[in-house]
This record gives sequence, C-alpha cells and structure tokens, in this order.
Amino acid sequence: MVSHCPRGGRIDLGDVTPHNIKQLKRLNQVIFPVSYNDKFYKDVLEAGELAKLAFYNDIVVGAVCCRIDVNEKSRKLYIMTLGCLAPYRRLGQKMLEHVFKICDKDGNIDSIFLHVQINNDQAIDFYKRFTFEIKETKEHYYKRIEPADAYVLEKTLRQDDTGKENSAVVANQKEVAPPSSTSLS
Amino acid sequence: MSPSQPLPPRENTLFKRILKCYEQKQYKNGLKFAKQILCNPKFSEHGETLAMKGLTLSCLGRKEDAFEHVRRGLRNDLKSHVCWHVYGLLQRSEKKYEEAIKCYRNALKLDKDNIQILRDLSLLQIQMRDLEGYKDTRYQLLVLRPTQRASWIGYAMAFHLIKDYETALKILEEFRKTQVMVKPFDYEHSELLLYQAMVMKEAGMYDELLMHLDTFEPQIVDKLYISETRAELNLLLENYATAEALYLELLGRNPENWAYYEGFEKSRRPSTEEERLAVYRERAEKTPRAHAPKRLPLNFTTGETFTQLIDRFLRQALHKGIPPLFVTLRKLYCERWKVETIENLVLGYVESMKSCSKFNPADDDSVLEPPTVLLWAYAFLAQHYDYLGNTAKALEYVNTAIEHTPTLIELYVIKTKIYKHAGNVEEAVRCLDEAQSLDTADRYTNSKCAKYMLRANMIKEAEEMCAKFTREGVSAVDNLNEMQCMWFETESMRAYQRLGKWGEALKKCHEVDRHFTEIIEDQFDFHTYCMRKMTLRTYVGLLRLEDILRQHPFYFVSARCAINVYLRLHDKPMTDSEDNENTSSENLDPSELKKLKNKQRKEKKKAQQEKLKQKALQEKKEQHNKAKQAEEVEGPKEEELVPEKLARVSAHVIASNILYYVYRVP
Repeated sequence: MVSHCPRGGRIDLGDVTPHNIKQLKRLNQVIFPVSYNDKFYKDVLEAGELAKLAFYNDIVVGAVCCRIDVNEKSRKLYIMTLGCLAPYRRLGQKMLEHVFKICDKDGNIDSIFLHVQINNDQAIDFYKRFTFEIKETKEHYYKRIEPADAYVLEKTLRQDDTGKENSAVVANQKEVAPPSSTSLS
Repeated sequence: MSPSQPLPPRENTLFKRILKCYEQKQYKNGLKFAKQILCNPKFSEHGETLAMKGLTLSCLGRKEDAFEHVRRGLRNDLKSHVCWHVYGLLQRSEKKYEEAIKCYRNALKLDKDNIQILRDLSLLQIQMRDLEGYKDTRYQLLVLRPTQRASWIGYAMAFHLIKDYETALKILEEFRKTQVMVKPFDYEHSELLLYQAMVMKEAGMYDELLMHLDTFEPQIVDKLYISETRAELNLLLENYATAEALYLELLGRNPENWAYYEGFEKSRRPSTEEERLAVYRERAEKTPRAHAPKRLPLNFTTGETFTQLIDRFLRQALHKGIPPLFVTLRKLYCERWKVETIENLVLGYVESMKSCSKFNPADDDSVLEPPTVLLWAYAFLAQHYDYLGNTAKALEYVNTAIEHTPTLIELYVIKTKIYKHAGNVEEAVRCLDEAQSLDTADRYTNSKCAKYMLRANMIKEAEEMCAKFTREGVSAVDNLNEMQCMWFETESMRAYQRLGKWGEALKKCHEVDRHFTEIIEDQFDFHTYCMRKMTLRTYVGLLRLEDILRQHPFYFVSARCAINVYLRLHDKPMTDSEDNENTSSENLDPSELKKLKNKQRKEKKKAQQEKLKQKALQEKKEQHNKAKQAEEVEGPKEEELVPEKLARVSAHVIASNILYYVYRVP
C-alpha cells in the first residue's frame, strides 16, 4: 500500500510486532499527554489489522490502534489512539482511511467512535472533515490533565437500513496546512 | 600382503574382509574378523592384522587402543607397507603431519607404486606446503595414472606453485589437447581454460593470454572474466582505443563499479579537470540513475564546479533520505575547503527548510521538500561536527533530530558514536542500548551494543545481549566460540586485560589462535575436492590465503594481548592466595572486608551452580546427540582452557608462549 504525498514522500502502513513495539510506545509517549499501561500494549499485539504503524519514507512517524466494542445493541469500532509526529501531520488522513477500509471489509460495524479532549480544536476539525459528529461530552474523562473533559465523536456507518458507504467521503478532502500541535483521541 | 608374514588362504580371506569392512565403514564387523585371525595362536602377533585392527579402533574413537595396536603391529612387521601406511593415517588423524609424511615415505620405500599411499602423501605435502615433494609425488602419480585428469592438473599445479610457469603451461596445454569432446557449457573445461589464463597472467604473458581468450571464447562460460581481463590487459599494453571500447561495454553491464570507471578514464587519458569531468557527465547521461558518475567527480573537481556538483548530490541524497550519506562523503574531508563548502551548504538547507520547506528560498515554490529532508540534514550535521571533533555541536544537532523524530534508530547510533569519540563509554552504551531496544529483530544494533558494552568492561551484560540471538540451550560465549566469532573474543580479551583478569584474557587469546589453526586445517579436504570439481582458480586463491592467514588483524590483536599479559605475569606472577577482584580490598576496614568476602563467596557459589546447571544441560544435549549419531571420527579433543591454570605458569612457559605467538605470523 504505497501512495505518494505531494511532498514526494512514500507512505506505508506496517504491522506492530514484539520486535518494534517499543517504537509504538515511544510515539505514544511523545504525541499524547496520556500514558498507556502494559495491558494496552499487550492487547495491541493481538489486534492484527486494527493496530498499524505509519511509515513515511521508511521511518515510523505515526500509529493507529483500534478495538471492536460489542454489546447486545450494536457493534462499534473504537479508535484508542491515532496520531503522528508533529512534522508529519498529513499522515492522519492515511491512517483514518485504513480504518475505514477495515470497516468496509468487516461489513458488520455500526459506527466508529473516539474520545477527544475538548480543547483539541485541530483534532475535532480533522474528524469533522470526515463527517464525525460530537455525540456527547464525558466529564472528568481524563484523570491527570486539564481540561479533564472529553467529547465523544462518532461516525455512523449504517443504520437499520443499508446505510451509506464511507469511501465517498474521502474524495471531498481539501488540502489544509498541517496543524502543529499533537492530536488526541 | 606382507612378504615377511604371509597368511594362509583362510586367514588371507579374512584379512581381505577386514580391509573391505574398513572401506565400507563397517567397523564392528572388521573387528570381528580381526579377532578371528588374532585368536589363532599362530597369528596372534600378525603385524598387518594388528595394524588394521588399530585403524578400525581409531575410527570408533578408541584412540589409545588404536595407537597401541598399530605400534605393536608395526614393531612386529617393519617391512610391511600396510603397517607404515596405517601408522601414517593415524598420525594424520592426530594432526601430526610431519610424522605422517615420514610414515608414508617409509611405506613407499616398501611399495613404491602404491597409488593410495602416493595420494595420501601428496595431500599431506600440499597441506604442509612441501612444494618440491609435492611435485615429485604428483609426477609419480601421473606416470601411474596418465588417464586421470587430476594427475595432469595436479602435476601442472605443482609447477605453478613453485612459479615455474612455462612448464606448468606446457603440461596444461598437453592435457587440454587431449580434451577432444567438449560439450557446450562445460563448466569444468571452462575452468581449465581459465586456470591456464591465470597462469599466463601471472607469468606476464599478456599477448598470449589475449590470444588464448580469443581462441577459446566459445568454450569459456565466465564471460565477465573475459571482458574484464581483456579490458585490463589492453590498458596495460596501452591499446587505448580497444581498452576504451571494452570498458564502455563493462560500464553498460554494471554502471556502479568504480574499477570500471577508473579503467575507462585511464583509457581516455584526459589531461584537464574538465575533460575528466566530461567523461563522467557522459556516463551520467547514459545511466542517469547510477550513483557512481555523480559521486566520483567529487573526488577531483575544484572550485565552483565542485560546489555545484556537491549541491546537487546532497539535495538528491537528502531528498531520498539515504542514511550513509556522511560515510559516502567522508573521504572528501581531507580537504579543508571541501569541508567548508559542504558545511555551508547543509547549514543553508537547514535554515531554508525550517522557514519554507525548500533547499533554498530561491527555489521554485511548486515543489516543497518532505520533512525527512530536515531530519537527515540534522543527522548529517551531527556526524559532520562529530568528525571534526566538535562534540557540543554534534550533540546539539543529534538531539534536535531526536526531538524531531524520536523513532529513527540511526540517530541513536550516531549519538553513540559521538559519545564514544568524546571518550564517554558508559553514555555510549546507554544510547546504543536504546537503539537496539527499538528494534529487537536487528542483529546489527544488537552486536554493536554488545561490543560497546565490552568496551565499557560490562562483560556479563555483553554476553546477555548476544544471547538474544545465539542458539538456544547453549551459553552465548560457547556458541560464539563455536561460530568463530572473533570480534567478540578480541573485545572480550581486551576487557579482561583492562580488568586485570589475566587468566580469562589468555583463554580468549588462545581461543582466537585456535580458530586460526582450525581454518588452516580445514583446507585439507579441499585438496581433493577442488581438483575433482575443477574450481582451480579459487583453489589456488585458497592456498594463497591460507599462506598469509595469520596476517589478519584479529590474530595480531590476540597475539599482542597474549604477549603483553605474559610479560606482565612474568614481572608480577600471581600467587595462590591472590584474588583478582581483591586488589582494592586493602583499603577496607575489617567488617567491610568481611562483607565483601561474604558477597564474593556467595557470588562464586552462585556462579558455580549456574555453571553446573549449564554443564548438566550441555551433557544432556551431548548424550542425546551421541545416541542419535552414527559412528563418527573426531579429531583429537582440544585441551580445555582453564583460566586459573593459564595465568599461573612458569617463566619458561611464558617465554615459549610468547615465541609461539610471534613466530606464527607469516
């Protein structure tokens, strides 16, 4: 899956393995103000296609980790982390497109959702561009950072009827200058 | 059959059976037959039977019995060539080559046309580089077996090795003429022709060689050799036009071979810098993606030309993001003005990239450079300043790079080198440990980390680091010794030397020396094999390599270390009660000393238990392997190296060891 960025760089997605997992840890440490425990990384190793490293010109610069949440009412995909290093912000789109592809392939996913710190405007704008909506606000979601509240952003993939496919959304993206702060989920 | 101890028909048949059993490796049966002969009181001291029994025993690993029997047999029947031959075989298996040669010669005195003995003798002679003897033996083999290819080739090679090229070529040509039926793509025949070519080249017979190649080109399958040799020779003979055309063809084959460019340039004979540059410009146009025509002009261009070329070179490399960029350009750093030019250019890129994502603010806006350009520019500057000795600046740039992209492993390796050059080994180890942990599948960073740990005298940690990649169930040190991993052993020995652990250091020195001995002994099988497979050029190459083997730096390091340690031990011998780790214990008060001694005792016990456990594991494995293995002949078991014993030796032993290391250098 090689695609070309206008700046002449190659973007690839790669698997997370026990050999390179520390690079994922390093990324998360730098990008997110929240820290993740050992169980998180243990689960990531078993997540298969739901966890990917993003390579730019053969260097690991970003990562996306998801999981599937099932209850008797619905089956949803939850994005646990999605982010990349500051100089390489363009990759967010690529990683989100990968997530959409997974949902397509699965066929049985009702929606995608994630948490965003309420002051993270750039992240909120980013997801809104892909027709995510703010569904609710969770107060005191975060334990050690301010503001502690988070929005729940959700994108419905299908209702009881056939529902829209999301690949059409991707075509409507505008070129915007990359934001310089870190992205949260 | 021995003339002095003839056997009646029944026993004779049994004896012949013993020989057959030996050839077919049915050793138990062989022993049975031998027993039948020896049980008979008339023949209980039959020399040849005893000798054959001994030989069979040696194949079963019972060395002492074997020697006893063979010696007895020989004593009983000194006129038997079989006995001498067998004794020779045994000596050879014990690596006592000089002795073996003597035995074979005696055997030949009694049976001068025995092919088997002659063959065995020739192998020993070439192994010991007794070239005159080898020549004579090969002559006899040729006379006895003129239809065998190996006889002719071996004989010719004997002359080649003693540098009598004319005779060697005469013999080879005579032999070649007998090869009438040559199939297409006959590799072995092609190698014969190329061996002839090799001898001609060494004899300086360039014109004849060119003619030889022309005549036999259809039969030679190594077309690259033909092209390269023709180009080289025409250049030597100053046929510049021909050489130029030939090098052009070679460059078409491989536009990255610097030797071809050198030859091409020489055959063009440019007189000015512009003419030289023109040669490379031409090639760059023909092969635009080749790296060499862009890199080579940097070596000789000057002034504005150089600046333009290096600017383009750097931009391409940074855009692509090639990690060894600095290494590629390092050779240019001997010239001050080149260094300055490069520095100014890259500093310029950094400033420009930070402000407008371009190499130069004056560049076209339509093509912006990827952020990795800035990253690799930082990395380059870090290495650049490190090379120039400006540690502070180097660290500044590498840390900026790490902040930019903390997942790029190369940055940590660069940082390690900076610390190393500045003399801070501990910090270097820390950085490299970080690097190897980011990608635990990379054996390169793992090995480098182990090496730096050894430089910091962290021997235990280095072993544990290596153990991540060595074989399961075996200690890392043992596995690395088995694999003849000499970088590890030389670094270990230096560490032990620095720590004053003389016994351990000497053990490693001897281990390295043993590797070299092994490598020299391993060539034995190749004497027959290469002759059979006709890989003659590489075979001669092997012989020549083995001749100068101990010139290798690894040997020098270990020899120097051993000599220094022995001299130190001579000046200050170790006493029985002396403990290496207690050199600082004189300064401790009694209670602290007691604590220290207790701690050491506990550690020692733990180490011993660990060792026992390892040994038990090892023995279990060995038993398991033995049960599976068929009867196998093993060489003499190496004497185990015990560090304590190695360090406590007399002055006489010290002197002999020092001389040993010195005189083995070729």
